[in-house]
Amino acid sequence: MTKENRYPDIIFIGQPNSGKSTLFNAIAGLKAETSNFPGTTVKHTHSRVYVKGKVVNIIDLPGTYSLNPSDPAEKVALTHLFSEKPDLIVNVVDASVLSRSLELTLELIELEYPMILVLNMIDLAKKKGIEINVEKLEEILGVPVIPTIASRGRGIKEMLDAVFKALEKGLTIAHIKWSRDVEDKIEELGKKLPENLPVVANKRFTAIKMIEASGLFADKIVKEISFSFSKVLNRVRQDLETAHSAPAYEVTAAERHNLAHKIFEKSSQVKRGRRTTFLDKVDEFIMHPILGYLVLIAVFLGFFFVIFKVGNPLEGLLLGPLDKLRSLLLHHLGRNIIFYLADGLLQGIGGGVAIVLPYFIPLLFLMSFLEDLGYLARAGFLMDTFMHQIGLHGKSISPFILGFGCNVPAIISTRILESRRDRIITSLLIPFIPCSARTTIILALVAFYLGPLWAFGFYLFNIILIAVIGRVITLFVKSPSPGLILEIPSLKIPSLKSMLQKTYFQLKSFIKFAWPILIAGSVILGLLQYLNFDRFINLVLSPLVEKGLGLPRDLGVTLVFGFLRKELSLLMALQSLGVRYQNLLQVISKNQIIIFTMFVNFFIPCLSTVAILWKEMGKKIAFLSMALNVSVAIALSFLFRLILGKL
Amino acid sequence: MIRLADAPHDSSLRIVDILGGHGVRRRLFALGFHKDDIIELDSKSILGGPVLVRNLTSETSVALGRGIAQKIMVEVVDKRE
Repeated sequence: MTKENRYPDIIFIGQPNSGKSTLFNAIAGLKAETSNFPGTTVKHTHSRVYVKGKVVNIIDLPGTYSLNPSDPAEKVALTHLFSEKPDLIVNVVDASVLSRSLELTLELIELEYPMILVLNMIDLAKKKGIEINVEKLEEILGVPVIPTIASRGRGIKEMLDAVFKALEKGLTIAHIKWSRDVEDKIEELGKKLPENLPVVANKRFTAIKMIEASGLFADKIVKEISFSFSKVLNRVRQDLETAHSAPAYEVTAAERHNLAHKIFEKSSQVKRGRRTTFLDKVDEFIMHPILGYLVLIAVFLGFFFVIFKVGNPLEGLLLGPLDKLRSLLLHHLGRNIIFYLADGLLQGIGGGVAIVLPYFIPLLFLMSFLEDLGYLARAGFLMDTFMHQIGLHGKSISPFILGFGCNVPAIISTRILESRRDRIITSLLIPFIPCSARTTIILALVAFYLGPLWAFGFYLFNIILIAVIGRVITLFVKSPSPGLILEIPSLKIPSLKSMLQKTYFQLKSFIKFAWPILIAGSVILGLLQYLNFDRFINLVLSPLVEKGLGLPRDLGVTLVFGFLRKELSLLMALQSLGVRYQNLLQVISKNQIIIFTMFVNFFIPCLSTVAILWKEMGKKIAFLSMALNVSVAIALSFLFRLILGKL
Repeated sequence: MIRLADAPHDSSLRIVDILGGHGVRRRLFALGFHKDDIIELDSKSILGGPVLVRNLTSETSVALGRGIAQKIMVEVVDKRE
C-alpha cells in the first residue's frame, strides 16, 4: 500500500473474540464481520470512513494472539503491520480476559507507534467479578485507555474522541522494561544489527523479533545478510537459554506473560466467589461428556431442519416467476441465439437467487448465531474426537458446516487452520459436501421419487463417505495433524446486528466470486445448446454413460452442465430426456435416479469451487480434487449399479 | 509430575513443562499458557477426546487435543474444595 493519500491510516488489531470487528462495524458500517471462532476475519478489510467531518483509512486486521504468526490469517495481520507505519494503532482487548490480552498489547507497545487501548466488553468483565481501574492502567501502560461495550454502542464516541485527539496531538509511546538481564541482551543485539538489515519500528523491537525467530524462515535470511551478525544472534539466544533454561522465544514470551499478569494485578481487582450465572449452567450442560453430544446432535438436526423449512418453500416461490419469465422470453424471441444467451443469463442470475440463496442465507444466519453464541467453538471441542478419526481436528468443523451452503466460502474459511496439511485435507473433503445446489437435486430427485427417508439415507451415506475419504487421504499424508488448540470463549447472547453483518460478509464471497462464474457458465451453456453441441458431447460420453452407468445416452450432456453448474444437471436432464418433471419415471427407473444423483453429486466440483481451490490452494490441489471427485463418482455409481441391479 | 491428559479433575495444577515442537509451544504461549501457570481441568470428553482447560492465571478457557494434553507436564497444587 502506498501513501498516496493524505488520509491517516488507523489499524484495528486485537486477539480473536475481542469484539474488534463489532467495534469496527460501529464506525465503518456494514463492512466487516465479527467472530467468536478464531480468525474468521481472514482477510483484512480496508475502509475509507468519513467520521466527524474527517476522512480516515481504517484497516481491520484479522484477529491475532501475538505478533508471532501461526496461521495464515494471522500472517495477513503481521505483513500489514510491518510493511508500513500506521498513524495510529487501535488495540481492542476483551476486558474479561485482560491479563492474557495484555500480552499482545505489550508487544504492540514495543513497536512504539502511536496507539490507544480499547477495553471492550467491560460489562462482561464486571460480570466475571473483574473491576479494572482505567486510570491506573493508563498510567502503567502510558497509553490512552477507553472502556467500551461495542455490541451496545457504548463508549464509541469516547473512543473516536481519543482517536482524533491522538491523530491531532500525536502520542509518545515507550516500551515497558523487562528483566534486567534480558534487556541487556536485547540492547547488545540491537547495537549490532547490520546496516543493510531493514529495521522494523525500532532497533529494540527488531532485535526481539530476531531472537524470537529461531527456527523460522527469517533466520535463514539473517544468515544470508550477515554471517557475523547471525553468530552474535545465536550467542545471545544461547546466553538467554542457559540463563533461563528455556528456548529464547519462550524467555521473551514469558517476560510479556509475567509483565502482563503483574500489570493486570496492579490495575484490577478480582472478586472471587462470583455467582454461577445462568449461562454457566447452560455451559456445563452443553459441554457434558454425554449430554453434550445429545445437545450437539439435536442442534445440528434442528439446524438443517430449519434451513430446509425456510429454504424449500422459498425456492418454490422464487422458481415459479423465473419459469414464467423464461417462457415469456421464448415466446417473444423464438429459438434463436439471442434467446439462448438471454436464457443462459437469466438461468445464471436466477439460479443464484432461487436455488442457492434460499438455503444459503438461513444457513449463514444460523451459523453466525451459533458462532456468536460461542457454540461453534464448543462444537469443535465435542467433535474433535471424531475429526481425529479422519485425520483432522475440531477446528475443521466450521468450514465443513459452511460447505453445506456453498463450497466456495467454505474453502476460503479453511484459512483458520494453522497447518497447510489440515488445510489441504479439509479443502479436498469440502467438495464432497452437498451444497445447496446439490441438495436441491437430492430433494427433487431422491426425496420426490423415492421418498424423504431415501434422501435422508443419501445424506447419511454422504457423510460416511466423507469420513472414509478423509481416512484414506490421511493414509497418504505422513505428518500427523498438529492437534487442537482452540480458545473456548465465554457464552454470550448474540446481537442481531452482528449476526446480520456476518451473514452479509460471508454472502459477499458467494456474490463476488461464485455467482459471476455461475452466470458465465450459464451463458456458455446457452451457446453450446444453440450450437447443438450437446449431441456431440453425448456421443463422446456414451461409453461411460450408457455402458458404465447404465443411463440413457441423452444424460451425458448433463454431466458437463454439472461441472458448470450443479443444479442445472437436473433441469437439463429433464430437457434432454424430453419429459416433464412429474413424468420422469416413465423414461428412467428409480435405480437409475439413484445412480444419476450419485454421479452428479460427487462428480467434479463445480467450476466456482475449482476456481477457488486453484486460487487458495494452488493448481496441484485443484487438479487433485477434480481427479479425486471424478474417480469417486465413477467408482460409486458403478458400484451402486451392481448392487441395485442385484436387488 | 504427570501429563495433563492424566491429571485429576478435582485439583489445581501447575504447568511444570511444555514439551513438543516450536509450533505447539508458540501457539500455547500466544494463548496465554506458560510454565508456572495455575490451571484446572474443566471437563473431559469421552472416547479419549480433547480436554477443556481453564487457566486461572490468565482467566481463559482453551480446548486442547489429546496429543497436546500429553505434552503438557503438570503437578498437583492442591485439591479443589
